[in-house]
Amino acid sequence: MDALRVIEVKKSVYANNDLEAQENRDMLKEQDTYMMNLMSSPGSGKTTMLVSTLERLKEKIGIGIIEADIDSDVDALTIQTTGVDVIQIHNGGMCHLDAAMVRQSLDDIGSSKLDFVVVENIGNLICPASYDLGQNLNCMILSVPEGDDKPLKYPKMFKKVDVLLVSKIDTTSVFDFDFNALEKNVRKLNPDIKIFPLSAKTGEGMEAWTEYLLKKIENGVHT
Amino acid sequence: MHELGIVIQIVKQMENYMDEHDIKRIDKLVLGVGELSGVVPKYLRDVYPIAVEESKLQNTKLELEITPGIGKCQACGFTYNLVQNDNICPKCGSNEFSIITGKEFMIQRIHAE
Ligand SMILES: Nc1nc2c(ncn2[C@@H]2O[C@H](COP(=O)(O)OP(=O)(O)OP(=O)(O)O)[C@@H](O)[C@H]2O)c(=O)[nH]1
Ligand SMILES: [Mg+2]
Ligand SMILES: [Zn+2]
Repeated sequence: MDALRVIEVKKSVYANNDLEAQENRDMLKEQDTYMMNLMSSPGSGKTTMLVSTLERLKEKIGIGIIEADIDSDVDALTIQTTGVDVIQIHNGGMCHLDAAMVRQSLDDIGSSKLDFVVVENIGNLICPASYDLGQNLNCMILSVPEGDDKPLKYPKMFKKVDVLLVSKIDTTSVFDFDFNALEKNVRKLNPDIKIFPLSAKTGEGMEAWTEYLLKKIENGVHT
Repeated sequence: MHELGIVIQIVKQMENYMDEHDIKRIDKLVLGVGELSGVVPKYLRDVYPIAVEESKLQNTKLELEITPGIGKCQACGFTYNLVQNDNICPKCGSNEFSIITGKEFMIQRIHAE
């Protein structure tokens, strides 16, 4: 038997994905398309918030949505009612999306003709935090019923994101949610994070969020 | 579930590595798993046989090197084991720290032919 050599590889396990993510980022830049990675726990209000955001932005810019539900088309069908392009990734029960899957979807939806693409990631606060998709903006939703202590439990996610949307604020009184405690916990992990409290149900806070987002998209596209 | 996806990715990455470096066979694969990486060693070992099935790593042994989660206190500068001390500096009681090691999840080395 041949002698075995020891080879020091010293490569991050995420190295492959990081390369593919960079390719997505380069391609999107060339296409003048801005991409947002939307992450949260299941049921935090991603789809409802998206529909409300789309209603405010869809006349102004070309938008496409990539939905990643494990087993159904429910969210994609909901998004379709707004008239915005949507495609569904079925990723075979995985708990996160990776850059290669997103690349496939960007090609399928025709990202070159769009100004803005949103990826609704799989609902969980752990695995998606480790995978760069090539997005320009990382956004997470924390809904009031989930509680103000979540940054302590899922620090990786709160550190990674650029924007935190605190959703369902119409339910604040029912759930004893301490907004100041939340902000303190979040800022400790991520001093520069943008925080928008909002309710997709009553519309409160939606204006500030969509204005910010539209600016980001316009700047992102032209730089 | 997460671990299976990761290990499948590692297997693909190593198959490419074998092609690029003209390696015929890997006898042993050594992964470095940080205590703060969020990856569970037991799950890695459990899913590994499934992930390597019908791959070039079919007969490759898996070894895990666990790196401890070490932090440096931002208040007093003491370095300590974050996991054993619940993220609280045993010297001054501060919970502000920066991570020195333990977040990494690496392909460390291979024993190859
Ligand atoms: N009170 C209140 N309820 C909301 C709000 N936004 C969403 N909901 C409700 O929360 C539930 C979940 O909302 P979805 O938008 O489906 O949440 P999601 O994050 O897309 O869920 P998954 O894709 O299944 O993870 C639904 O019953 C919504 O009606 C809000 O602003 N206020
Ligand atoms: Mg949804
Ligand atoms: Zn200290």
